Amino acid sequence: MLKWIQVLWPSFLVAAMAEAVFFTVIDPQQLYLFGQPVDYGELATYSIGFLGFWLVCAASSLCTIFLQRSASELNRRN
Amino acid sequence: MSSPSPQPKKSAKQSSSESSESLYESRRKLYVRAVTGLFANWRWALVWITQIVFYGLPWLTWNDRQAVLFHLTERKFYIFGWVFWPQDVLFLALLLIISAYALFFFTAIAGRLWCGYACPQTVYTEIFMWFEQKIEGDHGKQQKLDKMPMNGEKLLKRTTKYFVWGLFSLWTGFTFVAYFSPLQELLAAAPGFTFGPWEAFWILFYAGFTYLFAGVMREQVCKYMCPYARFQAVMFDPDTLVVTYDEGRGEPRGSRRKGVDPSTVGKGDCIDCSICVQVCPTGIDIRQGLQYECIGCGACIDACDQVMDKMQYPRGLIRYSTDNAVKKGWGRKEILGHVFRPRTLIYGFILAAMCVGFVLLLANREPLRVDVIRDRSSLGREIEGGMIENVYNLHVINMSEASRTFRIDVVGIPGARIGSAQSVEVGPAATHSLTTQVLVPYDQGQPGANTIAFQITAEDDSGLTITEETTFLIPK
Repeated sequence: MLKWIQVLWPSFLVAAMAEAVFFTVIDPQQLYLFGQPVDYGELATYSIGFLGFWLVCAASSLCTIFLQRSASELNRRN
Repeated sequence: MSSPSPQPKKSAKQSSSESSESLYESRRKLYVRAVTGLFANWRWALVWITQIVFYGLPWLTWNDRQAVLFHLTERKFYIFGWVFWPQDVLFLALLLIISAYALFFFTAIAGRLWCGYACPQTVYTEIFMWFEQKIEGDHGKQQKLDKMPMNGEKLLKRTTKYFVWGLFSLWTGFTFVAYFSPLQELLAAAPGFTFGPWEAFWILFYAGFTYLFAGVMREQVCKYMCPYARFQAVMFDPDTLVVTYDEGRGEPRGSRRKGVDPSTVGKGDCIDCSICVQVCPTGIDIRQGLQYECIGCGACIDACDQVMDKMQYPRGLIRYSTDNAVKKGWGRKEILGHVFRPRTLIYGFILAAMCVGFVLLLANREPLRVDVIRDRSSLGREIEGGMIENVYNLHVINMSEASRTFRIDVVGIPGARIGSAQSVEVGPAATHSLTTQVLVPYDQGQPGANTIAFQITAEDDSGLTITEETTFLIPK
């Protein structure tokens, strides 16, 4: 449970910020997906964008958790 | 290197298991005793005000549209008389800076005011606990119900509670989505739950998290998830008002009969009734000093004051006070005298300056925007009548909510004129793109790039005018 929160919660906060900044600056109508203009509804684009940001941020948090070693683990012998 | 002795090895192992397993101690469920009093009244007032605003705003209409609507699909934010476009991101940035400085300012003065009274986590927890108390009874009855084996009564109470929480959460999720998607469309879709897939997703998402945070996780959100709780300590100083237990007056604590003068039994004013602990929404004992879990809600102040009244002791054994005041024995006057100190004055000054800037910018915001792009596919070319022609794409954004006609003029080179339509009508809160030719007499300007400017003026308001510079190419 703790690990879930540590991965999902910080990534949620950062994804919310990324979403706001990204879509303020970029109009979803200007996006291209595999060379084709994005033709989803705007709400769908925003939602997929948010979930995408969340996924990427969560992947980053997951790596952090995976690589993280507590002091006691580092100092443990054998 | 000598091998470590078994003793430290054991403790290292212990701390490792602690850090990986019990960093978040297994939660002891809190049965929070209801409290009444001055600060509880303030909190309920804030619950009502914030929730009336939150649930009420989407229902208001203005200019025949929803008064407050962050219309994502149109990429426009409607807030009463204003329509904000993505180009207005400066206002959003300013608003965030103002919010941040307001948080710094109020935290420096009186600690976690935001957490104790206005934070949605506090507000929804308060509401969910109110439902819980109405359905299951007070904190003692809730505890009893938890211990009880499943029977008809427990099943009924539990189901009712979860159902009411669920309904309230759904309504909250619905309201949240109504800020981004027009309420009337959502209302039409509500009876058969025929929302668009993404609207349905976000209603359930927000409702689910409201239920989880306010119903299940409660104080754990403040203790473990809230970023603000982690860094608020840097805004505290010895003159910050925080909920404080007057140790000098209270200790040594101990029970005694009602009306006994503490000095005659060698005790302080604290009767060790533990009511301050029972009412604490984060389950701490304020008598151990200021702790990071304390959200500054003042529930223990209200509770302790009632006990002091019953004992006929003066109120304020637990009260809002400052570190300095407790150490130096300051009274109310000295505490208030230290409210204005360099830290708060600087925060206050920046906050005031930002607010003034925001209001001025908003008052002087032109409801018109123009982008000019020279058509790069054609360079300047000669046309009949001894004129040079350049082509431009004009993007006129009418940010007001009335349809407007704009006159287009060009200045910068003597004799320059518009070769096409000289006025354009743009609908309410709409954009209009048009292609415009600019003609310049052959003998004017220099070969190469010349600076010219488009002047776009509203026909009904000559004060509303915008000048956009661009270049005019004359072939060599």
